[in-house]
Amino acid sequence: MKVGDGVRIAGRSLTGHKLRSALTVVGIVIGIGTVIIFASFGTSVQTDVVGEFEETAASEILVVTGDIGLEPGEGDFGGTPMPGNLDSFALPGLTTHDIGELREVDGVDAVIPRGGIDSAAAVRYEGQAEPHDVIATSPSAFPESNFLNGSSFRQGESGSAVMTEQAAAAYDANISVGDTLTLEFSDEPETVTVAGIVTQARGGLDLFGGFNAEVYVPTDPYYQEYGDTARSAAQGVDQAAYRQATLVAEPDRVTGTQDRVERYFETESDAAAVLEDGVTVQSAADIVDGIESVLDDIIRLVSGIGLLALLVGAFGIANIMLVSVTERTKEIGIMKANGARNREVMGLFLAEAVLLGLAGAVVGIPLGLAVGFGASAYAEVGFTVPYGWVLVATLMGIATGVVSGLYPAWRAARVDPIDALRYE
Amino acid sequence: MATSSSQPVVSVESVRKEYELGGTVTALDGVDLTFEAGSYTAVMGPSGSGKSTLLNLIGALDTPTSGDVVVAGENVAALSEAARAALRGTRIGFIFQTFNLMPRLTAVENVTLPLMFDEWDRSDRRDRAEQLLADVGLGNRLDHLPQELSGGQRQRVAIARALAADPELILADEPTGNVDTETGNEIMSLLRDANNRGNAVLLVTHERRIAEHADRVVNVTDGVIERIEQVDHDTPVAGEQR
Repeated sequence: MKVGDGVRIAGRSLTGHKLRSALTVVGIVIGIGTVIIFASFGTSVQTDVVGEFEETAASEILVVTGDIGLEPGEGDFGGTPMPGNLDSFALPGLTTHDIGELREVDGVDAVIPRGGIDSAAAVRYEGQAEPHDVIATSPSAFPESNFLNGSSFRQGESGSAVMTEQAAAAYDANISVGDTLTLEFSDEPETVTVAGIVTQARGGLDLFGGFNAEVYVPTDPYYQEYGDTARSAAQGVDQAAYRQATLVAEPDRVTGTQDRVERYFETESDAAAVLEDGVTVQSAADIVDGIESVLDDIIRLVSGIGLLALLVGAFGIANIMLVSVTERTKEIGIMKANGARNREVMGLFLAEAVLLGLAGAVVGIPLGLAVGFGASAYAEVGFTVPYGWVLVATLMGIATGVVSGLYPAWRAARVDPIDALRYE
Repeated sequence: MATSSSQPVVSVESVRKEYELGGTVTALDGVDLTFEAGSYTAVMGPSGSGKSTLLNLIGALDTPTSGDVVVAGENVAALSEAARAALRGTRIGFIFQTFNLMPRLTAVENVTLPLMFDEWDRSDRRDRAEQLLADVGLGNRLDHLPQELSGGQRQRVAIARALAADPELILADEPTGNVDTETGNEIMSLLRDANNRGNAVLLVTHERRIAEHADRVVNVTDGVIERIEQVDHDTPVAGEQR
């Protein structure tokens, strides 16, 4: 029997029982649809997050004190850094001297140190106190495009601050440039004027856009006065020391610059002398790899749930095929009397099962993509078609048909033609 | 292919067939029988006589416990399952009491069934099937499903199917059992036509009236051949009328 004839006859058998075939296909549609929904939505989120991060931070190199396991592949979450408060696990070790030396490294455009001041502080405006983080950093943390209003503070000048729009929004009263905030440090309050309001600041360890309510002040004089200190081996004195700094590298020289920065920390830095674990130097590319790796794991995990649904569908096919073999015992006998070999009978039933699985894929994939598209639109991320998963889902549909049809088809092939012809 | 060589189309030698049904049941107890190419033979006997068993053996649907069944030069017991299937599809045509048409295939598709398993091209086998259906008077029912046809029409489709591969041997198992007398006569006449074109016909029946359409009647009782009669078509054969 030719393959085309076999497929045609198998298709005829399926369309002969339209409702039954449709219900069986529904099981596969649910399984494959689920896989595609999760895969397409997950892939879309991944593409969106990674794209956004690469856009804003492609040329940034992050230096964090201690070994915090940012390397991809380390730890349960593929080495993704935990956004949040570094104070809990990093020690101040990047001295003012180190920051100055890093500015001199070939390929480094700017160094943005970042240090929290007095985590117990509150920020008061017109009588309303909010527990915003007060962070000392440098003006390079605020590219022109980040400003909604105003401009940056100047390094070395006290009395002015920059705040994020989230921080400003926390107050009932409208805050605008020129208003006065009170930073309520534990020993004595400082009064600052709002110099600018920004969407976000560069150099945070928060990977997802840094939508935090934060108030920024210049490191000089505030961090030098209130921040942590460490001993500078090179200069022989205690000086302000940071837990993290962000280096802005020349965009096309990121990798080489990262190597040179790492070399500095291995050899002559104060940080190496102060810190047992040294520092972790991480470029955005490394971090993106980490995020991708985590999201891949999540997509695989959730899509795996879809596979369970597919398994249920497979039992549906096996069940209906077994019923079909019993019902069509006489037809099997007729075919055998007319020259059908056992393997041809088997092939016919297997073809039916595969057609069911394939139909599940053909309906389930567009359906899954449509729902994934809807979910992406709802989550306001760009939609990405997960072509790899579409291929996987198609193969899974076929494989489900083969696996679940194998035993019923084998039973069909073994039917004794004499008994079958007598079967009513 | 229907041939007129001197080689018999079927030769049954010392065939025994036993079944295990709680105890050993002997269905055929040493049967010797030869069917010449182009011959027309009826095997007659009451139910339980072993005639269906004989038909299954000659139809390569079953193999004997001992003895040899040679069909179209092939020893059935020595063939693989696939070769037996090919033998059934190309050298033997089956006609059943209950028609045994595929319910979801049209008349034409049912006739092409053996040709499909013999890997004929689609247009070739459609041409052949249309011709055969026209020959049995169903040229206007080509694309009807079995359920849309009368019993007589269904049996005529089955006859066309049995002739599709132009086999040496047509096996007809009670072909008139499910149709009225008039339709039965038409069917017997179609079988005679087939035989006249050179296909050997083996008719299995329990009715003498039907058996006498053949040229030779083999009477089977209790698994053995009781007697073999030649039928003179000008005068009725001797023996009891049923």
